Formats: sequence, structure tokens, C-alpha cells
Amino acid sequence: MDTNKLPKGFASRRNFLFEAGQGLSGVALAWMLGQDGALGATACGGTEMVTSPFLPKKPHFAPRAKRVISLFMSGGVSQMDTFDPKPALTKYAGQPLPGKGDVVVRQGHPGPLMPSPFQFQKYGQGGLEISELFPHVAKHADSLAVIRSLKGRSNDHVMAHYELSSGTIRMGWPSVGSWVTYGLGSENQNLPGFVVIYDARGGPFGGPSNWSAGYMPAAYQGTIFRSAGDPIFDLKPPQGVAEEQMKGRLALLEQLNKMDLEKNPGNSELAARISAYELAFRMQGCAPEAVNVESESDATKKLYGIGDPITGPFGRQCLIARRLAERGVRFIQLYHGGLGNQNTDTWDAHGNVKENHTQHAAETDLPIAGLLTDLKARGLLEDTLVIWQSEFGRMPISQRGLGRDHNPGTQSLWMAGAGIRGGQAVGASDEFGYLAEQQVMTVHDLHATMLHLLGMDHTKLTFSYQGRQMRLTDVYGDPVKQLIS
Amino acid sequence: MPRLLIALLGSLAVFGQERVVSFVHDVKPLLENRCLKCHGPAMQLGKLDLRDRAAAMKGAGKGAALVPGDPEKSPLYRHVAGLDKPQMPMDGKLKAEEVAVLRDWISQGAKWEGVLGASAAGARDLKKMETWMVPAGAKEQWAFKRPERPAVPANGSAHPVDAFLRAALAGRGLTQAPKADKPTLARRAYLDLLGLPPTPAEVREFVEDSSPNAWAKLIDRLLASPHYGERWGRHWMDVARYADSNGYEHDFDRPNAWRYRDYVIQSFNKDTPFDVFLTEQLAGDEMGERSYDRLIATAFLRNYAKVGFREKDNPQFRYEYLDDMIATLGRGVMGVTVQCARCHNHKFDPIGQADYYRLQASLWGYVEVDHPLTPEAEAKAYAAKMAFIAEQTKPLRDEIKLLEQPYRDVLLTAKYKKWPEHIQKAVFTPEKDRTPGQVLLANQIIRTTAVSPVEIDRAMAAADLAKKRTLEARIREIEKTRPKAIPVAMGVTDGDYRLTPDGAGDEPAPGKGITREKIEGSFLADGTKPYVAPPSHFLHGGDQGSKGSETAPGFVAVLDDGTTPPALPPADGRTSGRRLALAKWLTSGRHPTTARVMANRIWHHHFGRGIVTTLDNFGKTGEAPTHPELLDWLAVEFVEKGWSMKQMHRLLMSSEAYQMSSQWATEKHLLTDADNLLWWRYRPQRLEAEIVRDNILAVSGGLNKQMGGVAVFPELSQEILASMDKGVWRNTKDGPEVWRRSVYVYRKRGLPLPFFEVFDLPDQNLTCGRRNVSTVPTQALTLMNNEWVLKQAARFADRVATEAGPDAAAQVTRAYELAVGRKPTAEELRVGETFLRTRTMGDFAHVVLNLNEFIYLR
Repeated sequence: MDTNKLPKGFASRRNFLFEAGQGLSGVALAWMLGQDGALGATACGGTEMVTSPFLPKKPHFAPRAKRVISLFMSGGVSQMDTFDPKPALTKYAGQPLPGKGDVVVRQGHPGPLMPSPFQFQKYGQGGLEISELFPHVAKHADSLAVIRSLKGRSNDHVMAHYELSSGTIRMGWPSVGSWVTYGLGSENQNLPGFVVIYDARGGPFGGPSNWSAGYMPAAYQGTIFRSAGDPIFDLKPPQGVAEEQMKGRLALLEQLNKMDLEKNPGNSELAARISAYELAFRMQGCAPEAVNVESESDATKKLYGIGDPITGPFGRQCLIARRLAERGVRFIQLYHGGLGNQNTDTWDAHGNVKENHTQHAAETDLPIAGLLTDLKARGLLEDTLVIWQSEFGRMPISQRGLGRDHNPGTQSLWMAGAGIRGGQAVGASDEFGYLAEQQVMTVHDLHATMLHLLGMDHTKLTFSYQGRQMRLTDVYGDPVKQLIS
Repeated sequence: MPRLLIALLGSLAVFGQERVVSFVHDVKPLLENRCLKCHGPAMQLGKLDLRDRAAAMKGAGKGAALVPGDPEKSPLYRHVAGLDKPQMPMDGKLKAEEVAVLRDWISQGAKWEGVLGASAAGARDLKKMETWMVPAGAKEQWAFKRPERPAVPANGSAHPVDAFLRAALAGRGLTQAPKADKPTLARRAYLDLLGLPPTPAEVREFVEDSSPNAWAKLIDRLLASPHYGERWGRHWMDVARYADSNGYEHDFDRPNAWRYRDYVIQSFNKDTPFDVFLTEQLAGDEMGERSYDRLIATAFLRNYAKVGFREKDNPQFRYEYLDDMIATLGRGVMGVTVQCARCHNHKFDPIGQADYYRLQASLWGYVEVDHPLTPEAEAKAYAAKMAFIAEQTKPLRDEIKLLEQPYRDVLLTAKYKKWPEHIQKAVFTPEKDRTPGQVLLANQIIRTTAVSPVEIDRAMAAADLAKKRTLEARIREIEKTRPKAIPVAMGVTDGDYRLTPDGAGDEPAPGKGITREKIEGSFLADGTKPYVAPPSHFLHGGDQGSKGSETAPGFVAVLDDGTTPPALPPADGRTSGRRLALAKWLTSGRHPTTARVMANRIWHHHFGRGIVTTLDNFGKTGEAPTHPELLDWLAVEFVEKGWSMKQMHRLLMSSEAYQMSSQWATEKHLLTDADNLLWWRYRPQRLEAEIVRDNILAVSGGLNKQMGGVAVFPELSQEILASMDKGVWRNTKDGPEVWRRSVYVYRKRGLPLPFFEVFDLPDQNLTCGRRNVSTVPTQALTLMNNEWVLKQAARFADRVATEAGPDAAAQVTRAYELAVGRKPTAEELRVGETFLRTRTMGDFAHVVLNLNEFIYLR
């Protein structure tokens, strides 16, 4: 330790803090600077050099994306009915799937091939083929890079969710949002760096483990934001406690805690706790402001379909996502489709793919298109990565004539924004859409690509756990350069 | 054109170019060089093995790889020719003439000679993996050598712990901090041993006891408290990844998991020696004399997160559970990351895949079982009675079915007619006339269309319905004799997983079922023949498709001195004795790490930081011990004093180091060792999530000290419950019923209690020794705004007012005494009094629960 840099003695509080750690802990700095008036009054946006586990960190190289908005369609979106047209299904309708050996379905027994009940059309200069389910999103075809060959490892909803969120089908591993906030911190210290907004009908399959920090500190787990009311649990005191009363309590707490700090030389954790209360206090103002979609213009609300009972709920989620993106939240995870009735409340179209997907596409198409339009108009799409995905694809064969069963063999998803080369489809599934065939991508490749866009080398973003430098991508994965412009 | 003719023309067309192929000269080199790398001795990717003809004809589970005489129907040819994806070989296509060789060979009958790859280099490499030996000198790593008791440094210290610590401090020119004051010590001891704060009377008792052994008496009193087990048992449950639910999609309830939790608490309270404690958990069913506690203890191995599929049909999950056991044993008990050697030899430590698969073999025989907690005769009588009832009611049920059949047929037909036309057509076309697609479709519809009893009842003629009701009444009569369920413990024993009966939540994977004919024996060993564990195999690359040799049970070689046999079969012959041998090996006292790891854990919890900070990793990638000799001394002492944990508490807490102030510092100390690695003062610890909650309850006076039994479900908002609606959460209105200690709160893997999560509850699915400690705004929000916290704060305020009377100074004093075990300083008293002039005790009490001091042990 370079003792020259340390002030002599520790008569003042300021000096304790300098001596607190090996070098000055950021926590202490923040608190001190706050004390000494080195920082101006706090606003809700922008970067502040206060401390938290989310203090912005430098990426490995110049990033294309500064933040991620992940749109997760829970239940399993059918590729043949959305972004991966398969004329062969019409040709061979009603016949068994040929040449693929035993087809492992999730429920019961395999059925015959079933054509898509939806029409496809080419969109944009790239001529990307998109089904009639997404007329609004299709207008952004030239911004979308569709991946048609993502191969998953499980046909179980929960395991497949975990694979997409953490790279492993096992429970208890850090989610991609945790990795990103761990690697980059956040640009706004008055809001959590990793925010999750799930469907009002309930959480996705697998629940909170989807945004768990696993073996990382709890600070990196996703914070649930509600799309109505107070966004964060316990953000405000319950009814009956006046704000004035709370302010009085906080003032006393600060006074007593600082007196305590004087008695504990060289203990930076205590200063961190004082700082955490200050952050919490600021969050009380900033979080409700961040989700206040009422302050948006009518035109904007309409753009997201807010006001319409079908598109309204997901529209709110999308609009909040944009507001959070604007405010520098690093990773925004939206879920559409939630626990409840699996067939009607999620994309899990076992019973009737036409009815199910028509409903869920109608709920999401306009809001997602609105989000893309709005991000573009505000210049945010340039450094915001938008990713639309599901936990797995569905079967080209029918389940009881009208539905489709789970299929991890291939799924279609798309990315847009920050550095993504739109208007293209990457990879291909076989002629029936049963298995990924060309440029087969794994979830590790997908995660490596996401980290790459964020300016991080996925082989270098590591967390030391039980003697091993753990990675989001385990020992696999390659960024898919073709997706990037 | 008739099919035959096309086939004939086809073969004629190629016949012209065909030549006679030699297997040995043309085909064998091709297969060996291009195919066997992945489909030979090293591995059988996709489960395809091409070493001999029988294996090739078995194929990859989708029929034979070869159809002699018909290349076009032979998957082997189709894949190399690019007719099927993926094109083989993966590492580059065959040349056209090579493809032609294979085509001609198959069309000429695919003659085969001998076994391929027997001498291939790959096979040698594999054998090397299987027979891997510990490299010379590897045992020299400090942790792999058996600890020997070092001499205690002679520096005038009365206590060995202080002697070691002071020796290190002296090297840096540092001294130990002075002793903490008595109220601080009282609170430290209470929080450390019980996880509960002392009452003001208890603090006073200790402060006023001026006898020289006052401290020792306090420690003895606390160790005798039943709440000690609740505190220290919880530490062990982190290691044991204890939870009350299965996890994954269904997150099924484990209705008997709590028995293990209570067993752990009671074992700590009874001071069960650690060697026995560990043996019970690994092999309680094999210990000769069976007791309920020992059977309950075996849940330790079964605490893994579980997918709701039966293992017999989904062995891939079984391998995951075994991996979890090996990780838990490795990290939690031995302090080595054995699980790193599942797919390859350990990258840093001298641990081979061979070690991993030896351990796997030691555990391989395990089956999940619910041990009856009754005398054996009673359990047998119960099973017999249940079988008798099933047997008696069966004919009655069959009769009902027969009676219902005509109605069911009519109703089913009506249901089929509701489907779209193409589906109806498939269903109503006579079976023999259906197209292949219709066969599939009809099969799906017919198998999944059912008629409910209610629908049938509605349709039934009155006479038939009356008959049915009579039969049902008779069934009910018989059912009345059904005995009350006997209590059971979730645990494990040895058996044959391939024959386990279906349990609740078991779901066969599609297309899979039991293949009984291949297996002889029964699920649990009975009869006269001794139990034989099913075979387990070395898996190359950790891949279940790449089975190597059958593996024998055994231990981690670098830690083994060869004196414990790998199996100690019990006299009754019902188990293999492998788990018992494993336990004996770990607890022999000669194992280099077991005692060190546990001694270090105990140290960590008392002193806030391990001598080895990576509690679960003593290997090369772990941290080196700050005081290696002290650690060895403690490990030897631990074993020699009979593995008594309470003795260790007495030993460590009686040191002067434990009694140092945490608030003292000099400039020199701060400059020399800012992180206090040398323990020059006591290290404060943030209370764990559960202890924060327990302390709030204790201080408010709300704590319900009832011990043991089924878990409680604190009230959660509907919104939180909606985030995970699988499994159970018997939401209970907030009140004394759920104000139990946190160790009794239901541990749901899919939905950790949000209050705990905020305070760094570790993931409940992985073994965890050292918890993370983070300081984040959500903790502040919870303690400031959470309704439950506010309610407890209000109770706390009422308690203070009741106990202290109306005087403000008395109230401030009482609040401090209750919450932090000391009187306020003059300044604190002044600030408190001033505050209370304009504010209420409710405000003040809430602030006290938010004090830094309140959530720290210092």
C-alpha cells in the first residue's frame, strides 16, 4: 500500500473513510462527496458518481449497444407461423414427418404435419418473410435480423426458460441481466440496473429464478417493476404513514448512524449502508417518475396501443421499457405471457395454434412496433439492443389436429437496434421447420453475441466462484458476426 | 409404376459402376479414420457405435445404421451422402469415391469382419483417463497432507488461539485490540450462538457477574439453549442446500422435508459428534442399528432440486442429481471441487475424472425412498392392508366400468363429432384404412379424449345409475377400513432405480417406459440374496452416450491413504455399504480435509471470515490460509476432542481474540492491515437474512419460540404469489402463528421469501458455505417501508412504552437496551429525547430497527 497517499491521522470522519479500505472505497467517496456538497442536487436521470454495485464500468471494447430491452414471449412461439415460412408443410399436410426418426413430443404422441394457418408476405427492402400475425412489427422488417436456427436443449418450459436466461437448464445460475449489470454497471444510480416487468397475468414459467443472480451478490438480481402503482415493492410506506413522518425518521436515522460511524473507524460497510439509505430515498422519487406513462402524450400512448384493452397491458410494459432505457437502466426484461391458464395466458399453443397465436400476437404486435418506432424517433435504437425471443419453438406436426407441441429443435427470434444488420434472416431450419439445420446457433452463441454488442468479450467476462472463473457462456459460444453491421 | 420395378431399375442403374468392395481394405480404414472418432471407443455420439456389426445394426435408437443391400435406406450412407442432415462426418465431407465405396459395400450386403478401433489411439487415451493416477508430488499441496498438530508458539499467551494469532501479529509489529465491554460481549455471544438478542435482564446478569468464569458460564448457558441448534443448524442447512420444495416447473411440495431440518437442529443441540452427524447423513440406513433419526438424516443426499420426471425413464436427470451430491460432498464436506472433474480431469487440482466416477459409483445405488417412521412390523401391516383394499375394490371398479361402457361410447362419439372435418375423418375411418397421417391424428385424439364420471352419470339410465351407486357405496365401505397414513421421512437407501415405483409427480418422458425384462430383482433389496448395486460407468467427456468401463466405488485418490475399503456391506445385506464406507473414509480422522473444512467453517461463523476464506475450496484455486498452523492445530484438536462442535465453540470463544473490541483501531493497524486479515480486532458481521427477521421479532416481543414441526408460510401479497403459482404456499395471515424463527419458514425453491432475498439469502439449489453480503438500497426500502416491519416497529414502540413508562429518557434507554443490548450514550440519549419532543415513540422505535448497529453483530 502506498502510504503517502493516505492522510495522516484520522481525527475527522473524512479521514476514517480514506483509511477504510485498500484505497478509497467508492461507497465512502460517495457519502463524503454528498456530505461536502461536491455533487449537485440529484436528478433522476444521468450518470452520477455515487456508489453502488452498479457503478458504470468500462466495457472491454467500444460497444454498439449500451442497454438491452429483452422481450420474452413466454410459452413457446411457433416458428412456422411467425418468422420461418414452410411451404413444405402445405405440400405434405396430413402426412407423418418423414426421415427424422422418432419425434419426441412433450405431450402424448406425434401427429401429422400441419401447415400454418397464417399467410406470409415479404417486407422491406430485404424481403424478409413475416406472417400476417405481425403486420405492425413487419413494417420494421429492415431493422430486424431474424435468427431461424436457434437450437435449445430442453422441451420443458422451465428448463428452456432457464437456458435462455442463464445459459444452463439448471436452476440457480446467474441470469444474463445479472451478468450484464455485473459487467457494465448501470448508467443511472437512482434506479436498479436490471429491471423485470412481467405480464399482469403472472410471472413466466420458472418464476423469479429467471432473473436470479445465482452465485453472484444479490445486488445483481433483477428488480421487479410493476407496470401499475408503485413500481417497486416497499418503495413507499403503506397507507397511513405520512411522508413528513418518514422524513423525520430518516433524518434521525442518518444522525444516529453517523454518530455510530465515528465510533467505528475503518469500517466502510457502515458508510455503505448510510449511502444505501440515501439511494433508496432518491429511488422513491425516481422510480415512480420512471414508470409514469401518464405523463406521455396521447400520441405516444396511442403508438403503444395504450387505451385499447387488447394492446394496453403490453403497451404499458413497452412504454415503461422505453422510459427506463432513456434513464439509463442497463437491462430491461419484459415478459409477455404469464402463469395462469397456460393455453390462453401464454404462447403455449397445444390446443389451437391459430387461436392462441392470433390472440397473443394481437396483444404484442402493435406495442412492440410502437416501441421500435419510438426508440428510432428518439435516437435510442442506435444504442439499444432489442431482442424478441421465446423459450423454444413449436412442432411442424400437429397436436390433436389444431395445436402444436414444444420443439427445442429450432426457434426463430429477432434482434434489432444497436449494431444489428436488419432486413436479413440468419440460419435455417430444415424444410419442415423441425430442426435447426444451417448455421445452427446455441444459446451460448446468442449470449456471446449480446455481450459482444455490449462491448464485452464473453470469454473475459468472468466471475470467480468456487475456484473457477465462471462465464455466462460456460466454455462455449461465439458471437454471430453476420448479425452485426 | 409399380414400386418393385422402380427399385429394380434403380439398382440396375448403379450396378454398372459397382465394384466388389473389400471390407478390410476399403471400408475398415474409412470407418476407423473418419467415423470411429465419434462413434467408437472414445464416444458414441448420438448413441451410435460403429465398432462392430451388432452395434451398427443396433443403430442410434432410430433403427439400424445399415440396411444391407439398400444404401438409400441406410442412415449411415444417407448421412455421408448428404441425403440426411447433418452431413457426416462433422469435420468434413467424404470424397465422392469414398461415399461410393460405402454405397457399394452396403449394396453388396455390408459384410463385416471383427471389431474396429481396438488398437486405435483414441482407445488408449480413453483407457488413460479411466486409469488416471495422482501425479507424483501432488499430495504435497498443503490441504492434501494430513494435518499434524503444530507446536503452539511460546509467546506467553494463555490460550492457543491467541498464541497463534499473536505470533502472526508480532511479525507485523501489531498488537491485539483491547477487550470489548461486557454488554457488547453479551450481545455478541447471544447473536453468534443463538441468533437472538439478549434481553436487558440477561445483559445485566452477565454485567453484574464479576466471577472470573462469568464468560464461560454464559457460553455454557447459551450452548444449553435449544435455540442454539436453530442458529447453527441453519449454517449447516446452507451446505446441505435444504429446501421444502422440489424446484423447477412444478416445484412440488416435499411434505416431510421438515423432519430433516428438525433432525439437524436437534443434532446440534445434542452435540452429536460431527463424524457421527456426517455418517448419519450419508449412510444412516447402513449404520447397523437403524433409528428414525438416522433414516431422516439420509435426506441430506436427497436435498437436490428435482425435475418432476422419474429417473428410471430419464437417467439424464439422475446424473444431474448425482452431480449435485458430488458437488455438495466435494465442496461442503471435503473442500475440494470434485465436480469440476465430471467431463475432464480437474484443470488445477490433482483430481481426475476417475475420482469423480469412483464417487459416483459409491453413490450410484441410491434410490429415493420414504422411510416409514414406525416399527417395521407396523409398516408391513400397513402396506399389506393397503394392498388388500386395492384388491377388494378392483372387481367393483371393473363392474362400474363395464356398466358405464355403452354410455361412454356414445358420449365419446359425440365429442369426436365436435372436431373439424379432417380430424373426424381420421377418427371415424376404420383403423386399417387410415393413411399413416390419419393413424397419428386418430391416435392423438382417441388417447386424449375422455368422458368424466359426471358426464356419464348424467347420461345414464336410472336403473344403471342406481346399480353404479350401490357399487360405489360398497367401495366406500371398504375404503373406510383404510388405515391412517403412517409417518414417513424422505430419504434414500440402496436399491435399483430402474425399478422404482411411480411416485406423485412422476411423469414418463414421451416414448419412454419401463423395460422390465432386462432387469432382474426388485426396487428394494429383499429376500435372502445380498443387495447388488446396479452397474455405473465412466462417462467420457461426461457424456451419457459415451460410456466407458464399469466403475468400481472408491474415493478421491489424492485425499486417500488407502486404509478404508470402498464398501462396508452391512450384515443384513440390504445395502451395498458403499455410502457407509464413504462416510467412514471422510470421518476416519485420517482424511486430510474433513476436519479442516469443518473447523474452518466454525471459525468463519465465529470470527466473520475463514482462516481459508474460500470455505468450500481448499484446492489450488482457493485462497491460502492466513494462519495455516492455527488451522491445523484446530483441525487436530477438533478430532481429538471427539468431533464435538460445542467444544469448538467453547475453545474459540474463550480466546481473547474472540473477546476483542471491534471498534478499536490505531493508525498503524489501519495502515498495516486495513482488512484486518490478522485479526487485530474483532470483525463485525452483518446479520444473515433470517437473523435480521428473528431479531426484529425478538425485539418487538412478537417472536413465537415454538420449535420444530411443519413449516410456516408468512403472508405474501397476491402479487408476489402470482410470480410463481406452482407448488404450495399456504398463505397465513400475519400473526403469532407465523412469527416463528426464520428457520421454520417454508423454503420454496421457486419463490424465496422476498424479505430474505433482499438480505442475501443464498440460492437454495446449490451448496453454499459463505454467503454473500451486499448493501443495496432495497434493504433500506424494506426496513423503512415494508408493512410487516412497520407493524413490528409499532409493537416494539408499545413494548417500550409499557416497560419504560412515560419518561422520554427511560424510553430511549429501554429501546436501546432491547434492540442493541446496551444503554445509549449521553449524546444518543440527548438526540433521542430531543426527537421525542416532537415525534412519537413509534417513529423512534422504527428508526432503532434501522440502525446500522441493529443489523450487525459486533
